[in-house]
Amino acid sequence: MASQPDKNDVVRVDFAFKRELAEKIEGDLASYCYQCGACVGDCPASTYSDGAFNPREIMLMVLYGLGDELIRKGSILWDCTNCYNCHERCPQQVKPVEVIISLKNMLADRGFAPTATEKVITTFEETGRTVPPNPAIDKQRAKFGLPPLPPVPMEEITALFEAANDEGGAK
Amino acid sequence: MKRFAYFPGCMIPARHPAMEFAIRETLAKLGIDIVDLEGASCCPDPIYFKSKDKLSWLAVAARNLTLAEDLGLDIFTNCSGCTATLSETYHLLQDEDLREKVNQRLARIDREYRGTSRVRHIATLVRDEVGYDKVRESVVRPLEGLKVAIHYGCHLLKPSRIMQVDNPDNPEVMEKLVEALGASPVRHRNWYLCCGKACQGEEIPNQMMHDLLATVNEEQADILGMICPTCFGQFDHGQMKVAKLFEEDFSTPPVYYFQLLAFAQGVPYDRLGLERQRFKPNCLRRYESQKSAAEVTSSASAGSGS
Repeated sequence: MASQPDKNDVVRVDFAFKRELAEKIEGDLASYCYQCGACVGDCPASTYSDGAFNPREIMLMVLYGLGDELIRKGSILWDCTNCYNCHERCPQQVKPVEVIISLKNMLADRGFAPTATEKVITTFEETGRTVPPNPAIDKQRAKFGLPPLPPVPMEEITALFEAANDEGGAK
Repeated sequence: MKRFAYFPGCMIPARHPAMEFAIRETLAKLGIDIVDLEGASCCPDPIYFKSKDKLSWLAVAARNLTLAEDLGLDIFTNCSGCTATLSETYHLLQDEDLREKVNQRLARIDREYRGTSRVRHIATLVRDEVGYDKVRESVVRPLEGLKVAIHYGCHLLKPSRIMQVDNPDNPEVMEKLVEALGASPVRHRNWYLCCGKACQGEEIPNQMMHDLLATVNEEQADILGMICPTCFGQFDHGQMKVAKLFEEDFSTPPVYYFQLLAFAQGVPYDRLGLERQRFKPNCLRRYESQKSAAEVTSSASAGSGS
């Protein structure tokens, strides 16, 4: 694992990174990690990347405050399959996947989220749905005797986003 | 009739209306009264939306839950992703500070999350409110000899402390539901493996899908029994991609459980939208050519015409 050596070759803990992560929902859980590695054995992203993706190592980077390793463009964090096996296995209830998602929130705050993620958010902001409604969908639904997709009260959705903005951005 | 608020989500009503049709058709026969949830939005999705901003994700999810609270009903979901989002929200908002934060946002739209509506996945709804025996009794076309490889997917079962659906290391709900149709559930070696959809890389999910389909193939299953629309997409459209990539022919059609149930309850194959799938479960047609038990009884003829 690469580190950020200073002139004395000592790892520098990025406390600002740790504080920012701790403000995210369940972002501070990594503090309880004692590096047992129970999360690794059942991690499909680890198995299928020959260990390149390693939830234990990710938790260690968080503990060491090595923010630069994780918070950057093309971060390995996006390889997580969100299978929740690590959440299930962790004896400390660290919920590594939740810490990883909180780290992804930090990536998104910096504009480093993958295009697919940004696209889903935009579609939601515009339509209140992940799959935008269109006449072809309603035609298919009619074939099964189903009514058109019901409308989403967008004024409510928009108000929720405005509330988030007024709070000074995502936390 | 037992009444429940139906939260259909985005994937099933928009991409797979045949699944919604099957749900409405089958639940009515099982004595469940579906109450449509007016004004529901995307749950929002537990992968993309949640990775952007957890607090906004919670606020939108909490808003959806208040719709059911207003009706005084528990909510049921038909998508494992929606179940994950809404169940996690119910769980997380037991924390008073977090609930306060979310309610500050909901106050803008004159709503308040109270935590009075439980979230149930449709599979557990059928297990706990209907029971396997009643499912069995509703079947007019037993799918005897049909080998169904079970794919639970991840979010139906995990995290188990929050989802509270079944034992994630040895679940039985899908096996029992498939058995109730007269079919034979098959647990293949890679049953525990994730479909890989949420992974943003390509290589990892492709290899996972390949390995999963290979073990399904070893068991010579007729179909893959699905309970999650996202996994379904992976195993239908995605199976084509993987088969091409690895130059292997797995050809195991995925079938969403409630379409299979509808078929067993007597809905004609051609009304179930199965012909729209990339991999069509043509093996089911052989049960249509058999006379159903009900038909045999009513015509008082002997033999089942296998």
